[in-house]
Amino acid sequence: MTDRELQRRFEADAKPESVNDLHDELDRFWSALDDVPFEDQMAFTTAVIEAASNVVEHGVPLDRDGVRLGVELNATSSRLQARILEINAAAHPDPLTPATGDPADLESGRGLFLINALVTTVTVERQGNTNIWVLSKESVPRQ
Amino acid sequence: MQFAIEDRGTYTEVVATGRLNMVSAPTLRATVDEAVGAGSRHIVVNLAATEFMDSSGLGALIGCLKVARQAGGDLRIACVQKQVQMVLELTNMNRVLAPYGTVEEAFARD
Repeated sequence: MTDRELQRRFEADAKPESVNDLHDELDRFWSALDDVPFEDQMAFTTAVIEAASNVVEHGVPLDRDGVRLGVELNATSSRLQARILEINAAAHPDPLTPATGDPADLESGRGLFLINALVTTVTVERQGNTNIWVLSKESVPRQ
Repeated sequence: MQFAIEDRGTYTEVVATGRLNMVSAPTLRATVDEAVGAGSRHIVVNLAATEFMDSSGLGALIGCLKVARQAGGDLRIACVQKQVQMVLELTNMNRVLAPYGTVEEAFARD
């Protein structure tokens, strides 16, 4: 296994178009990491986009400046990690509780379920005016 | 993401190209609403060129399925790629939206 580490940071207004820009950033991230298994890229990208979409959809701004979306990506030889920052946003009372109901009837509410299914650990913390989702996925580079 | 509507006689094909996410999901709904409003009852969403789908995109597909069924028809999906297949399987929505291998197969046995 080779020792390597790559970091990227993304920040933008928390609006839907920013999710496409983040996806482009993720594509560039994987281009620089061609030894990450495709299945891991696919799962991690999906989880990060879900978390970022949650920020855009549910972030409540603390003032007129609005919510900012920040994403810090980090890849090492054993792990992929993303810190999803909901900047200048109100705290979530129960951030890790998914929607309930008949899955066949739900047109929304699957995002958190998917995130939990796609990564190894999910944590949420509050720092100052920011909610931070930390998604980690164990991933070993292809030989 | 781009959507194109093709009249195939017994069904309408909606070709979805790009990422089906929170940005494009409302356009998919509007596209299928338009097709159903114009009289199409059987819709096939061709996902061959859909490189990515998240829960917003999945929610839009389920909403479109409801619209088609409420109009007395049905909506089916075809040609799904690996990431879309993964999302369908993890959410068990492949039971509601079973993917067909080709667009032609989707309504072939009806």
